Amino acid sequence: MDPRVSLLKEFSRGFTHGTAKVETEQFGFPFLDRLLSDGASLEYGELTAVRLLHKYKLVNISERRMDELLQLHITKECNVCRYFDASANDVFCFNLDNNHKANNTVVIPEMNLALHTLRNCLQGLGCEPLIVASGRGYHVWCRLDEPVENSRLYGFMLRAAVQALMAFHGTAYDHQTIKFNFYPDVNIHNVVSLRLFGSDHAKNKVFSRVLTPDRLLGEAASWDYFGDFLRNKAIPPARFTAAFNALPALL
Amino acid sequence: MKEPANPAGSIAPTVGVAAPRTIAVDLDDTLNNFTETLRHGQFPYDRAEALPEATFHRYLERIQNDAPEAGDLLSTEYSFCRYKIHAHCYRMARARADGVEFMQRLQRNHWRIVICTQRDLRRANDGTRAWLKENAIPFDYLFMALNKIVFCKAWGIRHLVDDDVFNLAHGGRYGVNVYYPIMPKHQSLPEHAARGFQTFTEVERWIQE
Repeated sequence: MDPRVSLLKEFSRGFTHGTAKVETEQFGFPFLDRLLSDGASLEYGELTAVRLLHKYKLVNISERRMDELLQLHITKECNVCRYFDASANDVFCFNLDNNHKANNTVVIPEMNLALHTLRNCLQGLGCEPLIVASGRGYHVWCRLDEPVENSRLYGFMLRAAVQALMAFHGTAYDHQTIKFNFYPDVNIHNVVSLRLFGSDHAKNKVFSRVLTPDRLLGEAASWDYFGDFLRNKAIPPARFTAAFNALPALL
Repeated sequence: MKEPANPAGSIAPTVGVAAPRTIAVDLDDTLNNFTETLRHGQFPYDRAEALPEATFHRYLERIQNDAPEAGDLLSTEYSFCRYKIHAHCYRMARARADGVEFMQRLQRNHWRIVICTQRDLRRANDGTRAWLKENAIPFDYLFMALNKIVFCKAWGIRHLVDDDVFNLAHGGRYGVNVYYPIMPKHQSLPEHAARGFQTFTEVERWIQE
C-alpha cells in the first residue's frame, strides 16, 4: 500500500465508516455502476457549476473500495471527502472560507487576520494545528489522542473562533467576508464533509498545501509535514481539557 | 457526450447489459405544489431563529416573492432564513396525484428514474427521501443540478419533466425532450421545443413516441 494512503487511513480512523463524498469529473451510468459495484449505495449525486465536476455521496463503501478511492485521491483522479462521527471524534477542523459570491479563491486580508489570530490562539493553548489551503480559504485541523464528544469539540471551536474574530474589533475589516464552519457540527454532522489532505482541489486544481507560520509548503514538503503532524502533534486529553477551560465561556 | 477514457481508475469495468430507458423528473412545481406552499403557507416566527421578529417578517416577504440574495456575500442571515423556509415547504408541499401515478407506472415499466432537482441535497437529502417515501414515489437516483440540460446531455437522458423556463428554452437544442406542467410563468415565452401538459398522462404518451 502507498505510504500516503496509510497516512490518510490513520488520519481517517475516527470518521464515519464506509461513508464518503467523491468529487470527480467522471460521470454516466456505466461509471456509476462501477462506483457502486462493491456494495456501496448512492445517497445523492450532484453536477456542480464547475466544468463537468460531479460529486457523489456514497454509503456502505467497503474497506477495499475506500482504499482504492484514497489511492485515486492521492493520484489526483478524484477528491475524497469524509464525514465526521455522529457522537465523538479525534479530529476537529475550522473551515474558513472566503464568503464572496465572486472571485472567492483570493486570500483576502480578513482571512489572513483571522487565520493568524486563530493559529496563535490554538498554539497558545498547546493545540498545534495543521493548516491546509482549501481552495476558498483554509482548513485548520487539530488532532486528539482520544475521541472527544462532539458538543464539547463544537463548544471549543466556537470559543476559539470568537477569539479569532475579536481581532476584527477596532479595524476596518468586515468579519462577514469570511465564513467559519466547524467540523464536527453538532447540528449537521451527517450533512457536511471535508476534503482530506493530499489531493488537488477539484475546482481550481491546486494542491492542498500546508501553510506554516512562514510560508506555503510545496507538495512533497506538505506530505512530510502531514506525516509529522500525525506522529507528533496529537493533543493529549488533559491538555485539551486545560485548553477548553482556558478559553472564555460564551454568554 | 464522450465518456472519459479511464473511468474510476482501478475500479474495474462491468460487463455491459442493455441500458434501460431513462427519464429525469424535477420535484418542485413539477411533482409538488412548492410555489403555492411558499406563497400561501404559514411560517410562524420562532424566537429560536436568532433573528429579530421584524427582520424575520421582512425576509419572509422577500422569500415568498422569490427575491434573490442582495449583496455580494454567499452565506448571510437572509440565505439561511430562506433555506429554512424552503426546507419547510419541501416537507409541506402536496404531491400531484397524477404525478405519483405516472412515476409508479414508469417503475412498473422498468424505466430508470432520476429525480433531478435544484435543491441543495447536502441538507435536503433526508427530507426529500422521506417525502418521496411518504408519497409512494419511486426513483432510482437522486441528483442535484443547477443546469439540468447539461446534466441530461452528459448522462444521456433524453427525457426531462421540469417547469423551469431555462430548460424549456434550451432542451431542444441539446437533444433533451422537455415536458412541463403549464403554469402562468410559461406564457409569452420565446419559441421553444418543449411540450406543456395539463396531466401526466400526456407525458406518458409522448415518451413512448
